Amino acid sequence: MTLNHSHSSNLAVVAKDLTRCFGNFTAVDNLQLEVSRGEIFGFLGANGAGKTTAIRMFCGLLKPTSGEAWVDGLPISRDSEKIKRRIGYMSQRFSLYDDLLIEENANFFGGVYGLSKKEIELRIAEQFERLGLTKQKRTLTSELPLGFKQRLALACAMMHRPRLLFLDEPTGGVDPIARREFWDLIYETAEDGATVFVTTHYMDEAEYCSRVSIMKDGKIVALGVPAELKRKHGTQTMEDLFLKLVGVSGESGESVE
Amino acid sequence: MKTIITIVRKEFQQILRDKGMLRMIVAVPIIQLFIFAYAVTTDLKNVKLAYVDHDRTSESRQLVDAFFTSGYFTSVGMAENQTKLMSWLMEGKADITLNIPIGYAEGIVRGNVSDVGLIVDGQNSSLSGRGRGYAEAIIRTEAAKLMENKRLEHPELETKMHRIVPVTRYYYNPELESKKYMVPAIVVLLISIISGMLTGMAVVKEKEVGTLEQLMVTPITPMQFIAGKTIPFIFIAFFELAFASLIAIFFFKIPFEGSVLLMIAAAILYLQVTLGAGLLASTVSQIQQQAMFTVWFFLLFGILMSGFFYPVENMPKWIYMLTYLNPVRHFMEIMRGIFLKGVTFSDIIPQFALLFGLGTLIFGTAVIKFRKMND
Repeated sequence: MTLNHSHSSNLAVVAKDLTRCFGNFTAVDNLQLEVSRGEIFGFLGANGAGKTTAIRMFCGLLKPTSGEAWVDGLPISRDSEKIKRRIGYMSQRFSLYDDLLIEENANFFGGVYGLSKKEIELRIAEQFERLGLTKQKRTLTSELPLGFKQRLALACAMMHRPRLLFLDEPTGGVDPIARREFWDLIYETAEDGATVFVTTHYMDEAEYCSRVSIMKDGKIVALGVPAELKRKHGTQTMEDLFLKLVGVSGESGESVE
Repeated sequence: MKTIITIVRKEFQQILRDKGMLRMIVAVPIIQLFIFAYAVTTDLKNVKLAYVDHDRTSESRQLVDAFFTSGYFTSVGMAENQTKLMSWLMEGKADITLNIPIGYAEGIVRGNVSDVGLIVDGQNSSLSGRGRGYAEAIIRTEAAKLMENKRLEHPELETKMHRIVPVTRYYYNPELESKKYMVPAIVVLLISIISGMLTGMAVVKEKEVGTLEQLMVTPITPMQFIAGKTIPFIFIAFFELAFASLIAIFFFKIPFEGSVLLMIAAAILYLQVTLGAGLLASTVSQIQQQAMFTVWFFLLFGILMSGFFYPVENMPKWIYMLTYLNPVRHFMEIMRGIFLKGVTFSDIIPQFALLFGLGTLIFGTAVIKFRKMND
């Protein structure tokens, strides 16, 4: 199995014929994908295109119906437990404990990833400093504004210094300034050497990615560097490109007169 | 192990911050113990008694006094005749009427008890049955007392007056106080509710807010998660057990005849059942209320068929056989036995074995279902 990808030590995510069905519905259909280390990879597509299903398979939350994928060189069919130690995951729903202090949340996730008490303290100090959470350390998580909650979720997902970060619509529902700030954090993370695999609805965010793929009905319909993709399809913005490739039969198609 | 401790610590942080949860842990036992102990009483008190005294002797007055000093009867008043008495009974003003005929005292002097008329309102069978029993006992005692006096005055009548009065004595709860019987059962009810419901709710809460999915991408295994989620409620259940038992012993003066160790051992077996039930409920529920009602649904069956209110022996045969599969019944029997009878392990081996078997089955199923759910 590793033969194809033994050379792939510089690949963070590889998908080969990856398929997932729910009953008769094929959510992810023969997905082929390679993501290099250190990339900020934008995983785009309309609602229901299969992005979240694919991410959930990479993270070991779902088993593929057929095909295989490798995350950090490990096959998801066999090594999902090992993979979990190497990745960070932030879902589209805010999923930390609202009734814990933000410090307690970070503490908990540090503990879950098996960090020592000292490491946790160190990580909290540097992460909170970087994400601007230090002042709110003793705040109840439910009292944080959404933008800060997302930073906290990022901090918790990165307590164990993952080599690979999966972000599933991390900026949903956040104002433009907070989104911009969040993306600065994503850049910093990538500069530190981590791979960032991110899904988003916002096409301006897609422009920040080093490469993107656009998914439709479980398949990838475009893959490449944003600027090249725009040139190839003759569009000015990612938004136009997205509408051109997905919009007609996608959710935005309904309102077309 | 470290992971489990991390989860347990987080769980306690959440519980201690949750005012509603804390109230539930401390206030619910107190409220339930008091309400149930006093309200679900099957003791006879304040039976309304009306009487007519045709004899009008000091002996007849003594009999009437004996009724009202017994503590079980309250006076509705003296009627002038039987008709009046009957109308009071019809109107519900009286539960029991007593008619002392002319010649009551005379009859006793002569060595035979004349017929004292008792009429009982039979609508409430438990009240009328026991009311009648108490009333008859009072009449018999009074008669015996009078005869004893006569015998001392007229020793020559000795043989003529000799009678045997049957005496029934109750062991373990000699006063047949329902409180003594109910309070240990309420302790059982309490830890069932607290440990079953709270576990179910705590697990589903993680599902509801999405943290369960977040945990499933961490190296936490389902077994670690289950351990981390249930251990706090084992502590809370034992706190509850100790707290409620202390109230039972020191406030309600319920005897505690048995061994604390035996109680702890039984509780551990029983917690397998309740924690398992909570966990099972969480696998079929999406929101906390659903989990709560699922646990409550099964708990209600368990309680009704446990002998909590009615002895299981009074149930139809096939239902009685089914109660063997009811872990609540076994734990209830063990707890009542430990409190009131001071049973030892050898007395309750069957209950222990059944509790162990059923507990392992329920908890095991819950674990399997939970792991499947997260696949």
